Amino acid sequence: MIQVHSLSKSFGKVKAVQNVSFSALDGQITGLLGPNGAGKSTTLRMLYTLLKPDSGSAQVDGFDVRKTPLEVQRRIGVLADARGLYPRLTSRENIRYYGRLHGLGGEALEKQIDSLLTMLDMQEIADRPTEGFSTGEKLKVAIARALVHNPQNILLDEPTNGLDVMSTRAMRQFIQRLREDGKCVLFTSHIMQEVAALCDQIIIISHGQVTASGTPEDLRRQTGQENLEDAFVAAIGSAEGLER
Amino acid sequence: MNRIWVIFHKEMLDNLRDYRSWTTGVFWALFGPLIMGAVIMMVGSTFRESAKESLRLPVLGAENAPSLISFLQQQDVIIETAPADPEAAVRAGEINVALVIPPEYGEDFAAGKSARVQLVFDSTRQSALGDIRQASRLLESYNEYLGALRLTLRGISPQVLRAVQIEERDTATPQSQALIFISMLPYFIIFAIFNGAAPVITDATAGERERGSLEPLLINPLPRGWFAVGKMLAAIPFAALNLVITLAGFAAIFNVLPVEELLGMQIEMDAGALTAIFLVCLPIVLLACAIQTLIASFTKTTKEAGTYLPFVGLIPALPGIALAFLPVKAELWTMLIPTFGQQILINQFLRSEPILMNNVIISTLVTLVVSVIITWGAIKFYENERIILGR
Repeated sequence: MIQVHSLSKSFGKVKAVQNVSFSALDGQITGLLGPNGAGKSTTLRMLYTLLKPDSGSAQVDGFDVRKTPLEVQRRIGVLADARGLYPRLTSRENIRYYGRLHGLGGEALEKQIDSLLTMLDMQEIADRPTEGFSTGEKLKVAIARALVHNPQNILLDEPTNGLDVMSTRAMRQFIQRLREDGKCVLFTSHIMQEVAALCDQIIIISHGQVTASGTPEDLRRQTGQENLEDAFVAAIGSAEGLER
Repeated sequence: MNRIWVIFHKEMLDNLRDYRSWTTGVFWALFGPLIMGAVIMMVGSTFRESAKESLRLPVLGAENAPSLISFLQQQDVIIETAPADPEAAVRAGEINVALVIPPEYGEDFAAGKSARVQLVFDSTRQSALGDIRQASRLLESYNEYLGALRLTLRGISPQVLRAVQIEERDTATPQSQALIFISMLPYFIIFAIFNGAAPVITDATAGERERGSLEPLLINPLPRGWFAVGKMLAAIPFAALNLVITLAGFAAIFNVLPVEELLGMQIEMDAGALTAIFLVCLPIVLLACAIQTLIASFTKTTKEAGTYLPFVGLIPALPGIALAFLPVKAELWTMLIPTFGQQILINQFLRSEPILMNNVIISTLVTLVVSVIITWGAIKFYENERIILGR
């Protein structure tokens, strides 16, 4: 479970995130929706401990991101905005490296890697160096290494960015599967249909602030719009930067 | 702590597969021995030629001065026929020096006037200097010999003309000139260490950022500074390998080339000296890895790192170059400068001079302390938010 209380972060004069609060529950998919540059990635970066909030706080399973970053890191699996791999290492070696950094090893780690390779349908590319992989193949490796320690909380930054239709579909099914396993899934997107189709809870961010949040049903009610798409536009104030 | 070794292990595996870049590093390790070998061969052969072979002097108009020619021949000079245009031949480097005796030489000589001869040479040609000096000295001694003869005929002692008699005692030996090059040897060793570590460090720091793999890496549950330490440690075997290769290269040069015959001096490069030099250089391995890790961590791309790191490797060269021209004694203050103290110590090992154990200990300790401070700086940088933002 992830709880965020009035989180703020500025870069110089730019107020990237202002007073953002929400919580993401286990067994639910929570979507952060907003146009490019709205502060979604910065919020996520503070949650996965790489950036320190200027003010406010956030907890993952009760552990504070500022005070106990290592405890938080043990409980989250992250697909960051930067998802570079090691091109000279094979998929399996890339995943194994992260497993070992989490303190795993031996038979248990190898079994976990094998089950991830099966789950993401990537046995064929398992022992190839990742140099020259397609965007979809790279993404699979990046997701597998993020989940190698079987974290309860999963943070995905724009997980379908750059994927073709089939891969996007597979990705969405995978996110739903994580929910069935009882995980707390938090992901960002600027695609309204995706958020509408997947999320139990939607948080709409614009100019670094939360402008609306709740279930799709709540959003329709709050904005007084019949259609969810119109509800998004009403919440953000314009359709700028949003993909249809 | 053992997760540092996870990082170390991964960087080793990753960089060993990038064999193009680490073999380039190995090439730099051989660079010093190859240059040194070439210089020794060249310097050695110049000295040998000038020292042993008799002067071959091309002469134009030898028939005009038979007595001068026979004087030269008595002095062991081999007279050759000069080309028709001696100036062009000297300029083209075909001959080192030429003697031109004009037709009026005989007439002037008989009349008791100063008879003119020309020595044609190019004073900027290093390799011709020996021949030029020898030819002009011979001509001067012929001059003196004739002058003395004439004065004696007139009943005057030749010493009248010698208010001052100059005796030349040149203490420069081929050895002392060759020593200048030998003094560069320690720097080549340090250069090889820096260049062994550079490709690995560039890939592990700037490369990590460039690939976009730094951010996900730092989300793993380890104190951030450990990443800096693990990456630095991974460069150490490569730097140490280069140290070993470069020492082996120098050992091969000094043991295969007839150095004693070429330079007339003995260079100590036996197993004992090699081991001593290796041990004295180990702290530099640590220093090279630490300082390059710190600097490369600030860079955003491998290209940027590639512009800074070579300068870092050049800094230890500055005292080394000074050392080649200004002899510095192994005093305490020199041991307080990392890499400088070691260069002086290596020179002492090579010349089998007595070594003060205190100097070895102080230079090692200072270098280790400086390395630790720099590593601490790299750790602090990794703990800072700036490493993510790249600012």
